[in-house]
Amino acid sequence: MKHISPNQVAVDIPARAPTRRALAKQQTRLKVLAAARRLFSEQGYEGATIRDIAAAAGMSTGAVFANFTDKSDLFREIMTDDMEALLAAMRDAAARGRGVEDALLKVFMAGYTFYKSRLQLARAAFSVSWDLEGGPVLRGLPSSLALQDVFAELLNGAVERGELSQEAEVKLRAQMLFDTYLSNFPQAIFEGWSLEALQTRARDQIRIVLAGARRG
Amino acid sequence: MGAEAEHTPEAVGPRRTQKEATRARVLAAARELFDAEGYDGATIREIARRAGVAVGSVFTTFASKGEILSEVMQARLDPLYGEINRVMPHVRGSTVDRLRTLFAIHFEFENRHLRLFLAHIAAAYDWTLSPAARPYGRNPRLKAILRDTVEKGVATGDVRPDIDLDEVVGLLLAAYAWTYQLAITQGAGAAELIAAMDRQIGVLAEGFSARA
Repeated sequence: MKHISPNQVAVDIPARAPTRRALAKQQTRLKVLAAARRLFSEQGYEGATIRDIAAAAGMSTGAVFANFTDKSDLFREIMTDDMEALLAAMRDAAARGRGVEDALLKVFMAGYTFYKSRLQLARAAFSVSWDLEGGPVLRGLPSSLALQDVFAELLNGAVERGELSQEAEVKLRAQMLFDTYLSNFPQAIFEGWSLEALQTRARDQIRIVLAGARRG
Repeated sequence: MGAEAEHTPEAVGPRRTQKEATRARVLAAARELFDAEGYDGATIREIARRAGVAVGSVFTTFASKGEILSEVMQARLDPLYGEINRVMPHVRGSTVDRLRTLFAIHFEFENRHLRLFLAHIAAAYDWTLSPAARPYGRNPRLKAILRDTVEKGVATGDVRPDIDLDEVVGLLLAAYAWTYQLAITQGAGAAELIAAMDRQIGVLAEGFSARA
């Protein structure tokens, strides 16, 4: 494949009205992201190469690099998009919960439902999260931190309402609940657990983690 | 911990002996590489190069990268579990104390080759893993030891008899694995990992202890 540097691409693009040009650039980005999403799902993070992603998007590697600095940049963008959508779903679920246990369970299920159609991508993300370089980046993304906050906010709300005790160690419990939520993914991914099975399990897990924080 | 010693060729033909030698060399090279590069970073090609064998001969012995790592971890964990099985019956104290001791031993041990253990966890999310591979979570030994420990707790009246023990074991395993995220995101050492796990065991104990 012919290599084109990002600069060369920029020069090759004929000058147009800024809006049209911006629109074209946006369309290119979306095409690359769609192709990357598919390849990360099929090949995993390590398995997918920029060259394959470019070919799948029907463009040169140079055109990909004009829009994204590298593969991790692409992956980060896809993860951010997903986590923002997931965040909205989780917040919505949290608002619909009656009582803290129910709300937490709905948040867990919002996550499993969201990823049910994209378990392969979840698998790629988990793989990256255990990497010494990729892990901190992924877990430190603002959208990832916001997901963890959903758990903490629910617990804080329950403390304020008096549903949980003042000494509930909210930070620790929120972290444990988030980790517990994540830890069920291998069952979902590899053992093909149904949403019902995950729900049964999550309900028990939430109950055990919250038991000591109950008032009285 | 001598993986090689287990593969001492006995009265076998030269071909078999050579195969065993290749196997031992591959495992030693893989262990080093996984510990240096992590799971994603290690390739079969590089393992072969370091072991001084052809890529093809790696594949005649192992089906996949994940399987190589499983063998490496098994050789590494055998002595650990041997030691734990020897020690645990003599560890006194409550179920919580015994669990804390058990995990502290694990953190001390794994922290010496942190990246190798993280690779072991990451392998659980590998695409191409063959059924024979045993990444973290598919290793029945830790699960059995934990189950045994909480079962004893039920017998001594420490642990609520009506609780689902598998659920408790699952939560402990999840807490154990995810505590290693502190090593990744904050560079936590063994002492910090142990302290974090101790607190989580405390929280879980409030859920599984008799007379809460």
